[in-house]
Parts: sequence; structure tokens; C-alpha cells
Amino acid sequence: MSANRPKWAEWADWVREKDDPRKAGPKLEALDDLVVLDLSSQSYAGAYCSSMLAEFGAEVIKVEPPQGDFLRTCTPYGLLHQGEGLNYLTEGRNKYHVTLDLNQQEGREILRSLAAQADVLLETFPLGTMDAWGLGYEDLKEINPGLIFASITAHGQFGPQAGDPMPDYDNVAQAKSGIQYATGAMLPPGQDAAACPWAVSTKASPWIAWCSAGAFMATGILAALHWRYRTGQGQALDVATTEAYMRLDDYTHIWFQGGGHITERVGGLDNALWLYCFAPTSDGGVFLGGLRLEMWQAFCDMMGKWDEWGVGQWDSLSPFLDREAQLKYFPEVAKFTRQHTSAELERMAVEYSRSGRLAPITTVIAPILSPKEAMEDPNWNERGVFAPTQDPVYGRVVAVQAQHKMTETPIRTKWVCRPVGYDNAFVYRKYLGYGPVRLSQLQRQGLL
Amino acid sequence: MVSNTWKDYVKNKPKKPKPLSGLRVLEICTIVFGPSGPSWLAEMGAEAIKVEIPPLGDLERDLSCSGFRFKEQSPLFLHDNINKYYLGLDLHKPEGQEVFRQLAAKADIIENNLRPGVMERFNVDYRKIKEINPGIIYLEKNGFGQWGPYAEENRPSNDGASQAFSGIAWMSTFPGQTPVKQMIYLSDMYGALMAEVAVLSALHHRDRTGKGQYIEISQTESIMRTMSWVWPYLDITGQNPPPAGNRDVSICPADTFSCADGSMVSLAAAAPAEFAGLCAAMGRPELARDERFAEHLTRLQEENATELLGIIAAWAAQRTAQEIEDLAREHGFAASRVRDAGQVMADEHIRQRGFMTQMDDAMYGQYRDHEFPVMMSATPPQKKWAARPVGFDNEYVMKKLLNTSDEELKTLYDNGALGKWADRPGRRPPPDWDGQSDIILSRDQASPWAARGEK
Repeated sequence: MSANRPKWAEWADWVREKDDPRKAGPKLEALDDLVVLDLSSQSYAGAYCSSMLAEFGAEVIKVEPPQGDFLRTCTPYGLLHQGEGLNYLTEGRNKYHVTLDLNQQEGREILRSLAAQADVLLETFPLGTMDAWGLGYEDLKEINPGLIFASITAHGQFGPQAGDPMPDYDNVAQAKSGIQYATGAMLPPGQDAAACPWAVSTKASPWIAWCSAGAFMATGILAALHWRYRTGQGQALDVATTEAYMRLDDYTHIWFQGGGHITERVGGLDNALWLYCFAPTSDGGVFLGGLRLEMWQAFCDMMGKWDEWGVGQWDSLSPFLDREAQLKYFPEVAKFTRQHTSAELERMAVEYSRSGRLAPITTVIAPILSPKEAMEDPNWNERGVFAPTQDPVYGRVVAVQAQHKMTETPIRTKWVCRPVGYDNAFVYRKYLGYGPVRLSQLQRQGLL
Repeated sequence: MVSNTWKDYVKNKPKKPKPLSGLRVLEICTIVFGPSGPSWLAEMGAEAIKVEIPPLGDLERDLSCSGFRFKEQSPLFLHDNINKYYLGLDLHKPEGQEVFRQLAAKADIIENNLRPGVMERFNVDYRKIKEINPGIIYLEKNGFGQWGPYAEENRPSNDGASQAFSGIAWMSTFPGQTPVKQMIYLSDMYGALMAEVAVLSALHHRDRTGKGQYIEISQTESIMRTMSWVWPYLDITGQNPPPAGNRDVSICPADTFSCADGSMVSLAAAAPAEFAGLCAAMGRPELARDERFAEHLTRLQEENATELLGIIAAWAAQRTAQEIEDLAREHGFAASRVRDAGQVMADEHIRQRGFMTQMDDAMYGQYRDHEFPVMMSATPPQKKWAARPVGFDNEYVMKKLLNTSDEELKTLYDNGALGKWADRPGRRPPPDWDGQSDIILSRDQASPWAARGEK
């Protein structure tokens, strides 16, 4: 903490005392009255959604087929940690892991018994699968009218393409959203497209469409729980992964309605803002942010262009907002930034805020950090973002949890994952009263 | 094969209740990250009152798409501000602060995305509000949270800085290339979404206990959460994972390929039946049995994945996007061309689902916009009306919630605590507005507080 603390330091201390994640342990949990059955299969959206609820204390029972969820094998470059894929490893948090073969009648009966005792059921099977098993919403609401039945799929539960047999994948949803099309490097002028295979529509690196679907479904489930609190009524919820991600796009659809404009790639630039771009530096890249005219003028001053461009005469940012203007000025900006390291530019902006012509106005300059640099940043570590979990089965794992910090019901990660079927004995005892004899019977039948 | 549950879902929306009806949200929010969350609550039926400092209000009103505005309004502002009531209230003025506290006493949720300490300066911070309303759920969103070195340095933040800071931009590019910025305001929108997960879980806690609470959200911390495997990967290997362009390194095959017709197709076929389907579609069924590819974990290994993706790329280059999509349907794997805005807008499926819904707004007319992406069978979310000028609903909000007299209103206008829009695009009504439509509670047009706006 710096010696020169801000005027509002007392507030910062008060909040930190109340919401520092290190102090979460003994506090109340927002959702510890809920039982969630997570039947999601081959879907990070489903796993992510139930993680949101499990972090708040809901008892999430992840139901897998006897061979385990295929998602366990979806791991970067095939890398395993103690036999577990990294994505599943971090999304098993706080959940109970049971196996059940829903292709067998008896397995479906057992599921029905669990569903009768659950508040939320989450599933990601192709349309019609749950109905064909007799486990659709229409079936289950008969035995549990308060049940919230949540489905995340590629195309949703209704509509002309709902029956499309394509499975739900993040990269395909990103392609369908319209967002990938408009994201990516521009072809440098005079270059041949074939020589620049990277100057194409480019997806976001994380499973962001799946994360969006999972997080939106979590809001839907919580809103439905509020409705149930008021009325006792359950309901079915439907999220299509592509739609969830598309909802984060603010304008391409509205721009299109103003004369058929198709939003194209602008690389590190922005369609709506200037100065607002990524620029290359001698050792990487920086983000430059100067949303107001004076901040852009300050940057021009740093570049030494004040007199040459007559910057002092400018009275509006408008002339800089269109693509042509950006393409005219950006090469000048990049020429300048390439001559410096990212750290030099950062310092330059701070220095300008103290002694520049327009001080204290300056430009926001932020280095484009690698994940390693981000992970080593003391700020995030002080705020507990990368706190490792000590898991009884998997040992030390850095599983980043959701980052809302809350004074009364903070989230926490108690354990990160469990092997396939790890909690069979506990869960089937707790909910169905099955003992060792019954369990080994079911195991012999291949149900568990 | 539509079940009874979803039959006529879109048609029946207006007949059904909304899940958050009866809840009141007070927002002092700006630029994407702020106002998106309250919009989602409002689409689910909450009464959202958007408090803006008159006469300019939310700076998002300034943002155009390379100069394009929709009836003078920012397309972004239009998208992020739905079903709200608009109150022009100057929180720099003690009288404005008092009005805010009176409204806060009757609110369930308060949201803002100002810098730390600003609400305290306005005398409407959590500690003051919880004294008058202990059930309040009070959310603050910003770049770095309320405490920690960056917060205390008063570092400015925004979506682009957050993409840079979090590591997400560094990862989202091709190997050896300069990072590209996501076209959408990803950190803003995603952070706003995570914030509502927190708000609604706090609502569940309040339903159970009657107790409210304080919540802080950092947009950068929130987007870091989506990078799932990256963090344990770093912790285990000590190395940065290399950027991988369009290739999904956790699923194989999953990548984007160029097609014979010049378009691009994203394809995924990882589960055994899907992969076998793809191999059959390519006329190479033996690949599914090849020991380098048969098992998913083996196939994901760098050398094998590179080999396989090369085979698929060569095949895709000989096919049109349409052919590949058709083959995907036939053989049970996933594929879609990388769709542009025009193709998305022509998608009949999302229209008939009511996701790409048709707005019918008295001020902005008919246009299509995204519905809240969770369809709820008993309580369907619904977009009902669009953005409004700064302070457009002052009279209605003040009369309905506080029963303010005409005399008090005049005083508030006179001292500048209440105000309306500046005569500038995005702040004022659209040019074709008739001067009447959509005013909920109208007053004497000659009065100083009439819905005319200040020049």
C-alpha cells in the first residue's frame, strides 16, 4: 500500500475488512439452502453455470455417466494434473460427483428420486433427450412443481433450428455470434492475404461463449428462484449458447439496421472510440486510451506533434472517429510507440500528468500483459484473485473463482474437483438411503 | 417437436408475469459496464431508475459507430438501456443527494460504476444508505475494486485497458502477432454479467434473511475468471501458454478453416461419434482409428493436433461453407460459417425464438434488438421500451415515488438539482419526436419543468 493514501482510504479499509476473500470462511452462504442437479454433459457452459451456484454454497450434485463426462478430457494439449484435465479440474469446485447410467431404466428412476428433492436441474443434452428418457420438464414438474429446469444447448428448446443435431461448442458459437467475424487483425495495406494467415477473423481465446451461456443461465436460475420464493412456482429455462454470447455485442446489429452496414475487423482499433486502441511497442504492446479530446491532444503532445498538427486548434473529437481518420492517424501513433518499450510509455503518461502542457490531463497507457505477468502482479494477489486451493485429492490448484466481493455472503472455493463417482456413497446414502449392499448391486448392474 | 412448455412462448410473453417485478433498481451508471446490468434486471421486470447528471448524462450517449447514430442516439446506449425510467438528478447538489437518499430508502438494489470514494463524496455511499435501508443490495463496479494498490492509485480503467491487463488480449491472437482487441466491450459486458450473478444471489439471501449487503466487482478480475485452464497451466508449468489463433487447444479438432468459396468455417468434432462422423464426412474413416487420433487426449497433443488440423484444413479448402455445414448436420459434428452482421440479422431461427426481437418504441420506432438470452417459461423477460432523453421521466418518478409538489419540483429545477437533457444528439429526443409521445406524467408545457429540455 502506498504511503500517500487517498482521501477515501478509510472507506477502502472498511470495505476490505468486510469483504476480503481471505475472511470468507465463517460467513453465511447465499445459496446453501439449495440442491442443484447438474446433468450437463460435454458442456463447459453447464459446468461453469453450476460453479457459480456452488461457489455460493449450493449443494451441486454433478451427475456423470459411469465413464465420466467427456469434458474431463478437454484439456490444453492433452495436459493432465493427477489424471484430470485442467478445465474440468477447475470447474469441479465445491461439487459432489456421482455417476449414473441414464440409458438404463433404473438409472432414470434414481434420477427421478433425486429430481424430486432438488431445487434446480441443469442439463445440456441435445433437444429431446431428456423427454425421451421420461425426464423432461413436463415429466419432472409432476413430481416437483417447484423445480427449476435449466437447459443450455446450441440452438435452444424451440425455433426452426432447435432440432438441429449439431452439438454445442464454444468455437462454433463464437463463429455464429457475428463477433468473431468483426474481430481480428486487418490485412496490412499492399499485403497478400495468403502471406498473412493471421489477418483473419479471430475468436477470443477463452471459452467465452460457454462462459456467457453459463453466467446468463445463472442469472436466469436466480431470478427464477426469486419468483419461486414469491409464488412457489417452478419453471423451465432455455439458453442457446450463441444467443448468450451475441447479447454482449452492443452494436453490430443496430449498425446493420442503419443501411446494411457490416462491421468489419479493425485489429486493435475501435469502431466507436478514439483514442482507444492497442499499439505495438519495442517489447510488446500497449493499450492507449484517451476518450476525451484533451486526452488525445495530450498524446499528440507526447508524440511531439503539437505544432506540426496544430493540435491546439482542435475543438472536437468527432473528426477522428471514422475509420478513414483512424487509418490515417494510427500509423503515426504506431511509429511513435514502436520506438519505446511499454514501460517507457507508461512512465511517459504519468510524467505528462505532472508536467505536461495539459497536465493533469494525460492518456491512459496500459501494457498488454501476458497471463504470467498478470498472475505475478501484486495487485491481484493482494486482492486474492490467484489464491491457490489446497485440495485433499488434487493438492495445490490455482482455480480462479468468480470475483464478486461481498460483505455478507462471499463466495469461496472449498475443494476444486473430485474423480469420477467419488461421492456416490455419500450422495446416494444422503438422498436415497442406499447402503453398501445396494450400492454394490447398482455397481454390478453398471448403473454407477 | 416443441414441447408444451415452449409452445407459443413468444406470442404469450405479454400475458405472463416477470420474475423480478416489484423490485426497484436505482442506477448511477455510465458507458456499457455500468448500465448493462440494470437493463438485464429491467428486462426481467424490475423497475430501473436511471439517474444521470443533467444535462449531459451518461457519456455512453456520445458513442457512435464511426459516426453512425440511430435516430441521433448512440447504438450502444440504445442497446444497454432498456425498460428504464430516466431521472436527471445532480448529485453534486445537496438537494439532489437528498432526493437520491429518499429514493434509495425505497429501492431494493443500487448500482453504480464510479471510482471508489465518489459515492461517499455524494453522501450516498453504502454506509449512509444502509442506515436508512438495511435491506439494500448495493453494487459498485469499476476497474480495480474498492481496495488494493491500483484502486488507491485512482488508476483509470476501461474495457480496453482491462483486456490488456487481464492477459486475455495477449492470448487472443495468432502466435507471434500483435494482440487484437475484441470488437465487443468484452470486459465491460462480461463484468456486468458477473455482477448480476452476485446481485441476484444477494437477493436470494435477502429473501431468506431480510438482510442486504455490499458488493464490489472489478471488470478485470471478472474476465480473468473466464480464462479457466490458463491459471493452473501457468501454476503447473511456470510457462505462458502460447497464443493459438482460432485453434481451441482444449478440444480437438476445433478450429476455423478457410473454404473454397472464400468464407471461413468454424468446426468442432471431439467426442468419439462426432470425430468418427467428421472423418467419414472427409472420406477418411481410417483417421478415426489412427492411433495418433483415436483418443481425444492423444489427439490434443501438439504434434498430433497440428497434423490433424492440417488434414482438415486441406479438406475444407476444397469445400464451400454450405457443404461443410450440411455434412456436419448429416454426420453429427458442429460447424458454422463465421457469420457477419448481415447473416446474423437474416437468421430466421433467432427471430422466431424472439431473441432478435422487434422493438416497437414510441420514440425510436421499430428496430431489432437482442432479448435477454434466458427464455423463462413462466416468467419471460421482455424488452418493452427503448432509451429516453436525460431526465425524461423526472415528473413521473418524483410524483410517483416521492409525491413531490409542483412547488418543490420548481425549487429543485431552479437550483439545478433536477434537470433535463442538453440540446445535443443522444441527449435530446430524436428529431422526429412529436413532443408528446411517451411522456408518462406531463405538466404545463409553459412551466419551467415541462418536458422541453434545457438549451
